[in-house]
Amino acid sequence: MNPLTCTLLAGFTTPMRIDTSAASMLWLLPLVVGIAVVYKATKVSQIRPRAFARETALLIGSILVFILVAALILYGVAWIVTEQLPAMAGGSAF
Amino acid sequence: MAQGRKDNDAFFLGAVGLLAWAVPGGGHFLLNERRRAIVIFVTVVLTFVVGLYVGSVGAIDPVNAKPWYVAQLMNSPIVFFLGQISTSGHFPVYGRAGEIGQIYTSIAGLLNLLCIVNAVYTAHLRGLKEARA
Repeated sequence: MNPLTCTLLAGFTTPMRIDTSAASMLWLLPLVVGIAVVYKATKVSQIRPRAFARETALLIGSILVFILVAALILYGVAWIVTEQLPAMAGGSAF
Repeated sequence: MAQGRKDNDAFFLGAVGLLAWAVPGGGHFLLNERRRAIVIFVTVVLTFVVGLYVGSVGAIDPVNAKPWYVAQLMNSPIVFFLGQISTSGHFPVYGRAGEIGQIYTSIAGLLNLLCIVNAVYTAHLRGLKEARA
């Protein structure tokens, strides 16, 4: 077995090193692409490469926009609860 | 006669469902939807393999992560054997990579479940169309 195959197979035996940083959120991108591709593959009546790519890209964009909006709303709620409300009440939330 | 047709339909729907579970996209392949089958196969298998690579084979855990395992099983019966291998305890799984691996492999399974249902429903609709014609 050549070294490349060995390295690849060994990769399946131990987890990758991924930090719990904001950058790790980027792992959602390939998943969103996979979900959009499979969903569209089950929905369109015929798969024509161009139309399929356009519809999939549109769905990927919609999902990402929705995630961004949800993240902004959650961030806003967290900011109000942890920063604004305690200041109004004259103390800390923690 | 009608009963025989119904039995045949049920057998065919079962075969489509089983093939779609055994090989992602297999159900659509049986229905002569080659392009759709290829797109489904490549996407589901790639998502599953990326999940395994990120989280290791240990991401399939039939003992401590049963709900995730049920979703992972939807990928293919092969997951059952991978689960048996991972219960040996030789494959560590931890941290963010373990979570991402589990999420990827489970989502791949749920996507394949969607494809199984779609393939069986498409086969059912075709059967109805042929019966009416």
